[in-house]
Amino acid sequence: MQNNVNKPDNISTPYETARNCRHYAMCKIDFLGSGICDSGLEKHFVSFYPQGRMILYEALSENKISITEKCIEIADSCNLCGKCDYQCYFLNEMRPTKVMEALKDHVATYIKNGGKVKSAKEDRILTEIKKIVGENWATNDEAITITYSHDLSPISDPKIPDYVVMPNTKEEIASLVKLFNKNKITYTIRGNGQNLLGFAVNVGVIIDLNRIKTIEFDEKNWYVKIGPGVAAFDLQKQAQKRGYRINAGEPAALVCANIMCSGIMSTFSTTYGINADNFIDAEFIDKDGSLFILNDPSSPNLYSYKNLEHKNSPGICVSASIRLHPVIDDERGILVPFQTLTNAVDFIRDCAIRHIGLALGIVGAEYISTFLSPTKKSASEIKNIFVDKLDIPYLVVVIGDKYAIRTISEMGYPFFDQRLFNALYMGLPSLKSAQWMDLIKELSDDEPYSYLRLKSFADLLETALSPSPALYSQEVDPELRPFFEKLFYKPEMTDLVWLNMYRIMSTRLGRKKPFLPVLIYLPIDNALINELNNKFRLIAEKFNIDNDFGFITPIDNGKRCIFEYDYFFDHNDPEELRRIRLAATEANTLVDEYSVKTGTVKGHPYVLYQGFCRKENLLYS
Amino acid sequence: MSLQNKPTTALTGATGFLGSHLMASMLTTGYRIIALGRSNKEGTLKERIFKLMRWFGIEALDGQLELVEIDFLKPFLGLPESEYKELCAKTEQIIHCASDTSFSERKRENVFKSNVASLKGILDFAEDSKADFFHYISTAYVAGTGVTYCKEILSSAKSFTNVYEESKAAAENIISRFCQKSSIRLSIIRPSIVYGDSQTGRSLKFNALYFPIRSAQSIRDIYLNDLYNNGGIKAAKNGIYLDKDGYLFLPLKIYLPEEGYLNIIPVDYFVNATIKIIENCSQGGIYHLTNNLPTTMKIVAKYYEQLMKVRGVEIIYGLQPDNLLRNPAEELFDRFIEPYRPYLSDKRVFDRTNACLATDNLNPPEFTYEIFKKCIEYAISVNWGQSIL
Ligand SMILES: NC(=O)c1ccc[n+]([C@@H]2O[C@H](COP(=O)([O-])OP(=O)(O)OC[C@H]3O[C@@H](n4cnc5c(N)ncnc54)[C@H](OP(=O)(O)O)[C@@H]3O)[C@@H](O)[C@H]2O)c1
Ligand code: SF4
Repeated sequence: MQNNVNKPDNISTPYETARNCRHYAMCKIDFLGSGICDSGLEKHFVSFYPQGRMILYEALSENKISITEKCIEIADSCNLCGKCDYQCYFLNEMRPTKVMEALKDHVATYIKNGGKVKSAKEDRILTEIKKIVGENWATNDEAITITYSHDLSPISDPKIPDYVVMPNTKEEIASLVKLFNKNKITYTIRGNGQNLLGFAVNVGVIIDLNRIKTIEFDEKNWYVKIGPGVAAFDLQKQAQKRGYRINAGEPAALVCANIMCSGIMSTFSTTYGINADNFIDAEFIDKDGSLFILNDPSSPNLYSYKNLEHKNSPGICVSASIRLHPVIDDERGILVPFQTLTNAVDFIRDCAIRHIGLALGIVGAEYISTFLSPTKKSASEIKNIFVDKLDIPYLVVVIGDKYAIRTISEMGYPFFDQRLFNALYMGLPSLKSAQWMDLIKELSDDEPYSYLRLKSFADLLETALSPSPALYSQEVDPELRPFFEKLFYKPEMTDLVWLNMYRIMSTRLGRKKPFLPVLIYLPIDNALINELNNKFRLIAEKFNIDNDFGFITPIDNGKRCIFEYDYFFDHNDPEELRRIRLAATEANTLVDEYSVKTGTVKGHPYVLYQGFCRKENLLYS
Repeated sequence: MSLQNKPTTALTGATGFLGSHLMASMLTTGYRIIALGRSNKEGTLKERIFKLMRWFGIEALDGQLELVEIDFLKPFLGLPESEYKELCAKTEQIIHCASDTSFSERKRENVFKSNVASLKGILDFAEDSKADFFHYISTAYVAGTGVTYCKEILSSAKSFTNVYEESKAAAENIISRFCQKSSIRLSIIRPSIVYGDSQTGRSLKFNALYFPIRSAQSIRDIYLNDLYNNGGIKAAKNGIYLDKDGYLFLPLKIYLPEEGYLNIIPVDYFVNATIKIIENCSQGGIYHLTNNLPTTMKIVAKYYEQLMKVRGVEIIYGLQPDNLLRNPAEELFDRFIEPYRPYLSDKRVFDRTNACLATDNLNPPEFTYEIFKKCIEYAISVNWGQSIL
C-alpha cells in the first residue's frame, strides 16, 4: 500500500530539520520524563519551545522575516540543554538542537555584521490588548507571530496573524472578545495547533490558551475541572497520581480544544464513551464576550447534534469538568493477533457487546511496527516481519482487568501478554535476524498463532531475542544511546496500559511522513468496513499517496465503531500537497455518499465542533 | 541431447518438489513436456519454471518445453476453447503430480478442492486429449492407519492420519474408476517420504525428514546464542550447557508412540523409478516407491547429534506420561513435529512387487550418515530453502 515510503527525509542540514518539524507540540509535554524546554515553560508562547524555534529558523532561512527583538530573545533563551533532541528523536528521529545552534549562529552573525534589529511597532490595538493581559502576554513581533502560522492541516495554507495574545483568566478572555468585537477584528482560538482542518491558523489575532492550566479535582463527584490550557498528557498524569484515569485524546492536544473540535476519543472510548460522555459540565465565553455554563437550562443546548459550521462555533470553552474513571490494580494489556481484518472486527464486536475489556482497538502492521520501532528503517523491516514471517497483519490491543483477560483466553484466542510484549519490544533488533521465525509460521499452519499457547514460549522468546533496553537502544543514534537505554528501563515505557493511557507512541505514526487521518463513525459491520477500507486505499492509489489502515475502536456497546484510515504526505512537497488535497476531497465525498446511502456512516467534518453533543445524537441522527 | 521419439507429456505440479525434479530429468532424457501450472506471488508460471531450470542447470531445446497457465476448476482448464483443443491434440500422456500437500485439518476445504474437486478438469482433459496413459503421483500413505502390510492395490482405508492422506486415497479411487470407464491406461505411483538427492544432497523442499532436524537446529541455535552472548543464564536454568569438547548438552526427550520406522526415499530414486515405470509398464498398475531398509528416529537422532555437535537427544517409545514436565526446548520441539509424528515411528510395511518388476529391481539406498550429512549440509547452506531460487 506504500508508494513513496522510501523517499528519505533529508534532515542533514539544520534548515531541512526545521522544515521537517511535524508541529505535533510534543515538545510541550514531558512525555519521556526528561524535562521540557525551560524557556518554553517560562515564556509560554510556542515561539519559546523547540517547535517555535524550528518554524522561526525556517522562516529566517527563507528570508521571510527580519531579525527582531523577540527573535534575539528566542535565540538567546535556548540554553542548548538537548532535551528536545531526546523528545524529537524518540518520535521523529530528528535532533532539533542543531537547529537551535544554527538559530543562535544566524542571529549572532547578523548582529556581528552590524545588522539592524527590528522592533515591532506597538499600535493602538496592541496597547488595548496589553491593558487586558499585561505587557508580557501580547505581541505583534513577527518572530512570534510567524510561529503561529502553522497547524497540522495539509489543506490550509500557512497564515501569519497580526497579534498573538495569551490570556490568563476567563475574565481576560471575555474582555478580549469584547475588544475584538468592538474593533471588528478576527480572532482565532488556539490550543496546541493540532487542528487537522486548518482552523487553528488565521490572520487577525490568535488567542493562545496555554497559560490557563488550572486543574481542580472534585474526587467525591468523580470529576476534575480544568482550564483550557491543560494538555491531555498532563491531566492524565495528575489523574493517575490520585488513582484515576481520564479518557485522553492525543497527548499534546489541549483537552478543552479537543472537546471543542471532534470530542475526545481513544481506545478507552469503548467503555468511557465519546463526546458528552467525557465531561460533566463546561464553561464558555460566547461571541458577545459573556460567560455561559453548559448545564444552565438557559444556555445554548450543545448536547444536541447540529452539524455546525465553523463560523457557528458556540464560543470559547474556558473550562471543562472532565469525568474521572476508577483504575483497577490488576489491569493489564494484551495484543491479540489476527490474519484478517474481518476476524479482528468480529472479535472486537464480540468483546464490546459482551462488555469484555476496558479499551479495545484494532491496529494494522503499519501502526504496530511504527509504534515499536525506534527508527524509520527499523519500522519498515519490522512491518515486513509482522506481515510475512509472523503472519500478523492485524493486532487487537485489549486493556482489561484480570477477569477480562482470562475470558479472552477462554474464548480461545492466543495472545501476546505483557511479558511477551516486553520480549518482542525490547528484543526487536534480534527479531530481524531470527532464523526460527520461519518455523514459527509453519508451526501456525494448523492453528494460527498456536505457538502462543506453549507454556514456555515466553521463556524461549526471551532466550532467543535477549530483550533489553541496551539491545533496543543499539538502533538509535550512538550519541543518544545512553539516554534511551536508561529510558527503557522505566517500566512505563513498555507497559501496555500506560502506553495506551498516554498514547505517546501514536505520534510516531508521523515519523515517516505527516499523515492525514480519514476518520469516520460507522456500524461494526464487516462488509461495510472492508468496502470503505478498499475504497480509501483506491483513492490514495489513484493520487499516488502513501496510505494504510489506521485503527478501529468499538464504541457504544459494540453498536458503532471509530474507523481511521491514514493518508501520508510530504508537507514540503507542493506536488504531494496538491495530491493529498485531491485525495482528501475525494475521500470526504465518498464518506458523504456512504452517509446518504447507509444513513449510519458519519464522517469527521460532520463531527467537528460536536465534541459537546450526546453521542446518541451524533451517532443515531 | 536430442528430442527422442517419446510421448509428449503434460505434467502438472512442475513448480513443486517432485514435479520439478521429474520435469528436469525428463527434459534431459529427451521428452517433450507441457507444464500445466499457475502463477503465484513469486512470479508468473514462466518466471517460476525458468528459475527452476536455472537451479537444475538445464536448458530446454526449441519446442521441448511448453508452459500453459491452467485452472483445474474451470471448464477447458480455464483456456480459450481453441487453445484447449490444440493442447488436447498435442498431449500423448499425462503425469498428474499437482497436489495440495498440506496436512492441516484447517485447510480441509482447500486440500479437497485441489486434490479431489480439481480432478474433474484434469480427467476431462485426459478424455478429450489423445492421451492414452494417465500417471498419477499418489502417496504410500493412502494405506491409512491400522494396517501393517500395505499392498499395491487400491486403498479401502477408512481412517487416515490427516486430511492429505484421506484426499489422496479418495483421488486414487476417482481416477481409477474414470480411467477404467474411459479406457485410459493408469499407473498410480506411490512414494513414501521423499528427501533430497542422495548423490548431491540437493533438494528444493525441506519438510518431512528435514523439519525435525531444522526444528532441533533452531532450538540449538537459540541456546547457543544464549550461551555465547548472554552468559547462558536461560540455558543453565534448563540444564543446557557446553561440554568440554564443544558439544552442546541439550536435553530433548522425544516421545514416539511405538517402535517403528521412518520410510524415506531420495528424490533421485523417485525420479529414476518413476521414469522407468512410465516407460516400462504398458498396462499400468500401482507402484510403491518405498524403502525396504527404512531408517529409524533413533538413527536419525544419532546422525543429528554427530553433525550438530549436540548431546542429550533421547528417543523414547511409548506414550508420554501425563503431566510430564517438558523443558521449553522440548515443548517447542513437540509442537514443531506434531504433524509429522505419525510418520516418525511407522509400523507399516509396503509391498513392492510391482515397483520392483517395473523398475528392474531399482532400490532406494539405505539412509547412511554420509547421505544425511550431504542433505542437511545442503539444506543449511540454502537456509532451509529461504535462499534457494
Ligand atoms: N514430497 C514428498 O515427500 C511426497 C511423498 C509422497 C507423495 N508425494 C506426492 O507427490 C506429488 C508432488 O508432491 P510435492 O512434494 O512435489 O509437492 P509440492 O512441492 O507441494 O508441489 C505441489 C505442486 O502441486 C501444485 N498444485 C497444488 N495445488 C494446485 C492446484 N489447486 N492447482 C494447480 N496446481 C496445484 C503446486 O503448484 P504451485 O507451486 O503453483 O502451488 C506444485 O506445483 C503430490 O501429489 C504428493 O502427494 C510427495
Ligand atoms: S535545546 Fe534549546 S530548544 Fe531544545 S529543549 Fe533545550 S533549551 Fe529548549
